[in-house]
Amino acid sequence: MSVASCLLLYSLAVTVLAPRPLARLTRAGIAPRLGVAMWLAAIGSVVASWATAAIFLFAELVRDWAQPGDTVVAACFTTLGAVATGGAGLVLQIGLLTLAVLAALALVVLAVRLGRSLVRARTSTHEHARMARLAGRRVAGLDAVVLDAPERVAYCVAGRPHTVVITRAAMDALDQPHLHAVLAHERAHLDGHHHLLLAVTRALAAILPAMTLFTLGAAEVARLLEMCADDTAARAHGSRTVLRALLALSGAAPIPAGALGATGVGVLARAERLAAPSQPGQRWRARLLLSAVTVLVITGPVVTAMLAARGLALCGGSMAG
Amino acid sequence: MRGFGELEAVVIEQVWNREDKTTVREVFEELRLQRTIAYTTVMSTMDNLYRKGALDRERDGKAFRYWPTLTREQYSARVMRDALDAGGRSDLVLTHFLEQMSDEERAALRRLASTEEAG
Repeated sequence: MSVASCLLLYSLAVTVLAPRPLARLTRAGIAPRLGVAMWLAAIGSVVASWATAAIFLFAELVRDWAQPGDTVVAACFTTLGAVATGGAGLVLQIGLLTLAVLAALALVVLAVRLGRSLVRARTSTHEHARMARLAGRRVAGLDAVVLDAPERVAYCVAGRPHTVVITRAAMDALDQPHLHAVLAHERAHLDGHHHLLLAVTRALAAILPAMTLFTLGAAEVARLLEMCADDTAARAHGSRTVLRALLALSGAAPIPAGALGATGVGVLARAERLAAPSQPGQRWRARLLLSAVTVLVITGPVVTAMLAARGLALCGGSMAG
Repeated sequence: MRGFGELEAVVIEQVWNREDKTTVREVFEELRLQRTIAYTTVMSTMDNLYRKGALDRERDGKAFRYWPTLTREQYSARVMRDALDAGGRSDLVLTHFLEQMSDEERAALRRLASTEEAG
């Protein structure tokens, strides 16, 4: 039980304590790619901890059941000696088994829902790409389909093939260099497979909306991916050009209020960092810090599990040893 | 009306490009110039599109005359509405160049724009 409970304690600690400090680290959007890596590592380490904990819990209980006597459950008895009288023994064991089965079931349900939601996302996203390609017109020399619509909108959608969509209104608002900067931004999303990262983080956030790590993580990942795409576009076309494109599209005839969900992609933060790029010193500090935290959250559960396996960590069943 | 198969999309495109109601024969003659295709294939595709509600038709002698239930513009508007709604859904993954802004954000962005113009 010790490994499982230590891992669960670890994941609890990360989900409760980590979100706010992690969000502070990525707020300014310096080194956005590493920021994304850090969030994904944090989310991944929690999910992996759950999975590993469930496996250990199950394995240990199955072993106990097979060879009664010198077992972890027996160790639990000594810990809870005052409570566990002879009569309560079987009740306790059944209780623990029920708990393990429930935990494993919860995890299976989570995995199934995640899988289903990803399949659904893939279907409707590809469907949308097909519809957009049908409705849109091709323009020579433009790697996008043009939609006749009054809103100034540019976006990309994964599909077969991936599609960049831009409205006639948006094209009218943009000069040639700005248009190419916008398209480079959208292309960067597709080339970087950002839609996959967004699909997974959003699905987790939708399945477990009460967990700040997942909801805040999904929002931050979305925001940082925009910045990654901005950086790629800026490398090819200059950050001024990307900024001016952003300003041009944000002008008159705004997107109808409420039409877009409040996803908090932080246009202003993007504009500010394009207007005043960070200093090399700041960048290195951010890179170092983000890398260190990423390594920490990846090794966290491994170290926790190893300490618990050697009976060094003070959590759960190891206290009995 | 949702998306279409590859051939259905080609046919819809043809119907959209015509001003008037059209027949299977007309669409077939047009498509034959672009690809190898059988008359019956075009006929069954247009029949499918009618069943899906994408095309409407009326009898004209022995044949049917077809027209789209949605114009290209109306279909575009649907795609756009879909795209603009995507922010509130987790099952449609789009990345917009520009997301919705609050009024404060818009004002701050305008200030930034004016310093940009000055600079």
